[in-house]
Amino acid sequence: MNRKRTLISDAFKVKKRRLAENTFDKASCGEADPGGPLDIKSSLEYLMTLFPRKVFNDSLPRIAMKHQLYSLHSAKTLVDRQLNLLREQGEVVIFQLGFDADAFGLVFTSDYKEKTLAGIAGTECQDTVEKFMNKVLPSCTDLSFNKEKMLKEFLFTDSEITQLVKCGVLTVRDAGSWWLSVPNAGKFTKYFIQGRKAVLNMVKKAKYGEVLKNELELRRTTSHVKFPMKYHIYDIMGAELVESIPTTSGTMLRYVDT
Amino acid sequence: MVFSILLIRLTHRVPSSGLWRTPVLLPQCSQRQQGFLTARRIGVDDPVRLRRAESTRRVLSLELNHDRDVDRIHGNGVNSLDIEVIEGRYMLSGGADGVVVIYDLENNNKKPQYTCKAVGTVGRSSRHVHKFSVETVQWYPHDTGMFISSSFDKTMKVWDTETLKPAEVFHFEGNVYCHHMSPVARKHTLIAVGTKDPKVQLCDLKSGSRIHVLQGHRGEVLSVRWSPRYEHILATASADSRVRVWDVRRASGSLFTLDQHNGDKSKAATEAVNTAHNGRVNGLCFTADGLFLLTAGTDDRMRLWNSATGENTLVNYGKVTNSSRTCLRLAVSRGCSPDFVFVPCGSSVAMYSLHSGELVTMLRGHYNNVDCCEFHPDYQELYSGGKDCNILAWVPVLRQPDVEEEGPAAGRAGGQQAAVNPAYADAWSSDED
Repeated sequence: MNRKRTLISDAFKVKKRRLAENTFDKASCGEADPGGPLDIKSSLEYLMTLFPRKVFNDSLPRIAMKHQLYSLHSAKTLVDRQLNLLREQGEVVIFQLGFDADAFGLVFTSDYKEKTLAGIAGTECQDTVEKFMNKVLPSCTDLSFNKEKMLKEFLFTDSEITQLVKCGVLTVRDAGSWWLSVPNAGKFTKYFIQGRKAVLNMVKKAKYGEVLKNELELRRTTSHVKFPMKYHIYDIMGAELVESIPTTSGTMLRYVDT
Repeated sequence: MVFSILLIRLTHRVPSSGLWRTPVLLPQCSQRQQGFLTARRIGVDDPVRLRRAESTRRVLSLELNHDRDVDRIHGNGVNSLDIEVIEGRYMLSGGADGVVVIYDLENNNKKPQYTCKAVGTVGRSSRHVHKFSVETVQWYPHDTGMFISSSFDKTMKVWDTETLKPAEVFHFEGNVYCHHMSPVARKHTLIAVGTKDPKVQLCDLKSGSRIHVLQGHRGEVLSVRWSPRYEHILATASADSRVRVWDVRRASGSLFTLDQHNGDKSKAATEAVNTAHNGRVNGLCFTADGLFLLTAGTDDRMRLWNSATGENTLVNYGKVTNSSRTCLRLAVSRGCSPDFVFVPCGSSVAMYSLHSGELVTMLRGHYNNVDCCEFHPDYQELYSGGKDCNILAWVPVLRQPDVEEEGPAAGRAGGQQAAVNPAYADAWSSDED
């Protein structure tokens, strides 16, 4: 008896050769086994290992992007659902990165708390931030907060909100509403976009605008690119800035002209 | 009864001659299908189950067929296709040159090679032809005596199929992007029209007047669609990123607006609150049972909504490239489990599984952008038309005959079956052995 739950039962004799091509390149760890259950947490942990702490002098918690998970697992809807579950359980914090409406950053809650508190230890904002961490994070998993909520529900004063924005825990979104954010995330965004552009250019300038994924992973990056190559590759694949084409020599990434 | 009808429809398709395909034994497939057949025969399974299983198998094996062709009449891109619901025999197509063509899809010549012939054309030489591009065509839902076409020449014409002359012409102030007439309506004969004007117009076919206007949108209305479940429910999509669902009996505005974040105001930037997409919404399609609504927008996303509550089901289809400046025509399969949605994406048609969001396959075959696609529910075929003026027919791959059946048995099989190709005829073995 076949215990694998497939989308379409085998009775329909799907043209397996089209779908089977995807399994040619499965060697690297972290890439999901299409037959097994979806484990987002372990994929997330794998992505976190790719995050370079030294670049930011250990002041930033490890950040992964939501769409990087899409490049590891094929079923996007299931990834979304599991991620929402993790968010509701309070294990993962999702925040808006700001450069793209769809780009969401993921941080482990423990990491987030640790680094933020370490960053503002000794400064005047310490108490406010601690209050925020202990009160708001466990109960509210939203991405943004508006004035009403902050004042009424969580009983923050205006000056406390200003302190939070100063520390970087909240970012201005609109008059009277704020995004949840990670302190010093600006540096992350800057290097991230720089690196993404550089890697995309590498794919674009290649002959025919396409590169084999394995070959791209082995290429050396310039000093502009602070993140490891794999981090960027998962990013451009998941954000569909390149087309992933399965070939007999592995996955090929072709630049998409948008 | 359902089973016998299914058999007739399946065997009506004459198998293609085996010139380029050697007969391959597929024991696994036929065994599983035998399982479905026996279960149906002895009554363990509901008849619908076999029908659904076979429909799904056929939709999953759609591909271009060498034997099927559609007459090439259009001199410019094909903008819209519609297959009539009564018999599924006639197809309408509207082109960018203002020409409207009617094709006969049925194969009566007992040979596998078949070209769907054009049985009527409103060509450039006709006095009543549209002056500019025809954007939408639709058959009258109750019989093929009438069809309606709307065009960029700011008119919507109701044509008599027999004489190919317009029986009624509606004039508008702006380009008409789309129109739709309810397929299930018994109490009204309203045509919903989406034009450059943010107000959705409702025209009555019986009286020939524009009786109703739906106000609420702030940008041009790119797509309108009646629900196939309730005759008074209408969905409209507009360039102001909003999709509104209306009950035409109500005097006050829309029932609800589709919100991509399901009311979770924290997820979006403040301007994007309460919008269905982050760009113009140009594709609308209800599923066959009317329970779900699909929308496609220029933010390269496609979303599936619960049509009763307006809730976003959050099915993630990924990036669905959409660069259409006008209405994007999606098609949803019918009678399969799971259902599939066909979206024109660039120069190919992408096929996604409806509820899981996975890309099943890309149907490649057009030479230029694909503009429209239409699913034929009875034969599980897909017709797609595009800027290369071709209408392509995607036909399910026929099941190969079993190897043992080749030879004299096949020859005796009946008049409907094509004669066995002489290359495979058994001309070397002798009966004496």
